[in-house]
Amino acid sequence: MTVDQRQLDIAGLNLDDDDPLEVILDEPAKPPAVVEKLIEEAKAALTAQEKSEKRSLSLVVVGHVDAGKSTMMGRLLYELGQIDEKKRVANERGSAKMGKSSFSWAWELDGTQEERERGITMDIALQTLNTPHRIITILDAPGHRDFIPNMISGASQADSALLVVDAAVGEFEAGFDRGGQTREHLLLVRSLGVSQVIVAVNKLDQVEWAKSRYNEIVQLLKPFLVQSGFHPSRTKFVPVVAMEGVNLTRREPADCPLFKWYEGPTLVDLLDALDPPTRDINAPLRFPISNIFKGTTSGITVSGRVCGGIVVAGERLRIVPGDESATVKLIDNDGESLPWAGAGSNINLILTSVDPVSLNIGSVLCRPGSIIPLTFSFIARIIVFDIQIPITAGTSIELFHHSLDVPASISRLISVLDRSNGNVIKSKPRVLTKNMSAEVEISLRGSLYSGPASRALPIPIEPFSVNKEMGRILVRRGGETIGAGAYHPLRAHQLRLIIGRLGVVMELLT
Amino acid sequence: MKLIGKRIEKDGSGRVTVRPEDDEDMWHLYNIIQEGDRVRAAGMRRIQNVSTTGSVDSKRIRLNLTLAVTRVTWSPSSAPGAESGTKSGAPNAAPVATAKVEVTGRVAEENQHVKLGAFHTLDIEANKDVRIEKDAGGWDSVALGRVEESCVPGRGAEVAAIVCGEGSAIFCLLSEHMTTVLQRLEVPIPRKISTQSSAHEKGLSRYYQTLYTSFLRHVPYASPSLRAIVIASPGWTRDAVFDSIMAEASRTSNKALLAARNKFIKVHVNSPHVHSLVEALKSPEIASQMKETKFAREGMMLDKFFKMLATDEMRAWYGPDHVALAADRGAIGTLLISDELFRSSDAATRKKYVNIVEDVQQKGGKVLIFSSMHESGRQLNQLTGIAAILTFPLDIEVVEAEEREAKEEEERRNAEERGTET
Repeated sequence: MTVDQRQLDIAGLNLDDDDPLEVILDEPAKPPAVVEKLIEEAKAALTAQEKSEKRSLSLVVVGHVDAGKSTMMGRLLYELGQIDEKKRVANERGSAKMGKSSFSWAWELDGTQEERERGITMDIALQTLNTPHRIITILDAPGHRDFIPNMISGASQADSALLVVDAAVGEFEAGFDRGGQTREHLLLVRSLGVSQVIVAVNKLDQVEWAKSRYNEIVQLLKPFLVQSGFHPSRTKFVPVVAMEGVNLTRREPADCPLFKWYEGPTLVDLLDALDPPTRDINAPLRFPISNIFKGTTSGITVSGRVCGGIVVAGERLRIVPGDESATVKLIDNDGESLPWAGAGSNINLILTSVDPVSLNIGSVLCRPGSIIPLTFSFIARIIVFDIQIPITAGTSIELFHHSLDVPASISRLISVLDRSNGNVIKSKPRVLTKNMSAEVEISLRGSLYSGPASRALPIPIEPFSVNKEMGRILVRRGGETIGAGAYHPLRAHQLRLIIGRLGVVMELLT
Repeated sequence: MKLIGKRIEKDGSGRVTVRPEDDEDMWHLYNIIQEGDRVRAAGMRRIQNVSTTGSVDSKRIRLNLTLAVTRVTWSPSSAPGAESGTKSGAPNAAPVATAKVEVTGRVAEENQHVKLGAFHTLDIEANKDVRIEKDAGGWDSVALGRVEESCVPGRGAEVAAIVCGEGSAIFCLLSEHMTTVLQRLEVPIPRKISTQSSAHEKGLSRYYQTLYTSFLRHVPYASPSLRAIVIASPGWTRDAVFDSIMAEASRTSNKALLAARNKFIKVHVNSPHVHSLVEALKSPEIASQMKETKFAREGMMLDKFFKMLATDEMRAWYGPDHVALAADRGAIGTLLISDELFRSSDAATRKKYVNIVEDVQQKGGKVLIFSSMHESGRQLNQLTGIAAILTFPLDIEVVEAEEREAKEEEERRNAEERGTET
């Protein structure tokens, strides 16, 4: 009897059409009963909190270099009584000693030696503000263009933004012109999902408290904000002088020329009215790590933002990428230990029984059983920013995803899309120019120049449709943000194409 | 590389004998030797003899073998600069070949030990002669150009580059045709926490220390062939790194390093990744010093291409098909082509690219063959490996339409001819 070898092969490979593939999935490991109970409790508590008075949110402070971001935050902390007099005097003395007394307020946030010497913020500083109705986690971002990676890491942990602009003549223009950080920061925070912004027009004392200057700046910023995708009803403007503390918490000093024409709310009034984010507490747990350090307690502390789900003290979490796991010993929020923390909270986790080597900035903590996928290359839908040099296939880029900054390249330009409805305008474009919306394939770069060892390390990323916060990406090139977008998995017709190709390969094999 | 002998016939067949000396020569050989060539070089082979009584006696002997090549593989240096850190005087030592080129094929000339047709893999050795024989048409202008280029004595400068970011550093060594990544260093530095910054500072000092030891191990700073040591980084890391290296050198009174102080160049780049090398190399500080080196030329030309793409899209084309069309129209002013394209195992594909190159040269255009072992070459590879800056603007769509029409025309004519024949 003759046997059709091909038939046999296909049968062996389970490729028969009439015998549909049976997908056998492992039952995900259930979390221990105690943990499960805590999760239930947390969910109930969080839903209750939604209705409560005091709600928490996180705010990233952005703006051009030297706009006065750190100073404003330092002063605000003082006004709200979170810095005591003793500390203020110490900062004042210390900064005067270095000959930089104008930085005395910023010293509270710019903690490292180098930052203080240079008088510039280089990395995100985390603080908590207590306003009457909100608990606000503040992420003070660096304004200098070389530290935008750090700023991105901060902005991806925030759900609202405070933009600080310098009203001084020439300074505002420098920040707002092409290549200034006012523009880039706004685009970045919007691309990272922040939709409400407060614009603080700072240093009004340097323009003689002129109302006309304030209005001019507001008029210049408004159209740009709309163009960047901020809804006018969710953008607020406020004039302040951070250094002197004018119009931060109260309308004082009363004789200040500002109040001759300004009637509106103070900065804190606006902060107090910010909308807290909606929290996706039912999603699987994702905790991207943005900082790792050895705290005062035993074990290793990692900080970051819960980007979905709930983390519970005592549970064991997987570290992705890698095969390691760690036990959450404590959940720490500004010195307070919590039994659990839900999506949207910026917290520290103290981990035990883990080798510090397996923890990296950019790793994601997940519950075993619902692990975030890893990928070397993926398809993203991006919006191209205002760029000079067009994007070609093969453009070398830096890919930003949460606190991760990895070299990558745009390996394929798949199609140009219509910005309004997402229809394909042109497939396989030769180049992407400014303000286009496109579908591209992004591949991570290997580490070596050639040879088989040139493999890249995969990064954890999830489709935008599954978890918005874990799907957003930013694309930079040569110190300039050239695009923003999100990971969209293959469309149906592309899948079919690939399956078709596989079929051809099978033909060749048999 | 030393050229020992060369005998090329008019039809492009013939042989070249060379003696490779360092890593870069190995890279040249990898680019010259093609599938189907015959390569004769020294190698080790295990010979087994079965005596009449049945006992097997095996020994390794050294012999010259000629192979008909079926595969060439390249592996970059495994332990680069490993020898340079052993003794204090060692950084001055000339680089030793550690990269490997392996030539696999069947033995083409029989001798008393090895039968004709037996398989063998030759590991090309430094300082031993290698004879490469190609069939008719094998020694085209590109291959010969490569041989010539590789045998120029006293080749260009070497440059060491350290691309650093806070907590990371990548040590690279650039020579005329190669960029070797010597080491990647990563020291976890806790990011600042506004209240307590000591952890951050401690991490930083650990980072500087590690960086200094790797610097000593990898950078042949005292070697006279090393022209410059580039420290590139965003922010102010480069200043801090330079200061820490110098401070450590004077603390340990490392005279050689202190003497090399003026070799250091600090450059600003935007990201701490290897691909910033291109950015570093086109910065004015470096470009003015090493204009004549290949990697600087490549970087500048690639930059020019991208700028052209931005200002006048119709004068910057890429992709093999498009560039071929532009070459047909004599529009190419500068051709940027990666050496990877010439490594194609398919002779026809190689010939196609060689023809484009020769065509452009004949019409007075400039041809720049990028080395894919450089960062710029790697970026060109990602851009399909071939690109051109045109002397006059051409619209791709129009040209493609013309081609289509011409093809249709021809088909119609063919059809008509067939029609008249029958």
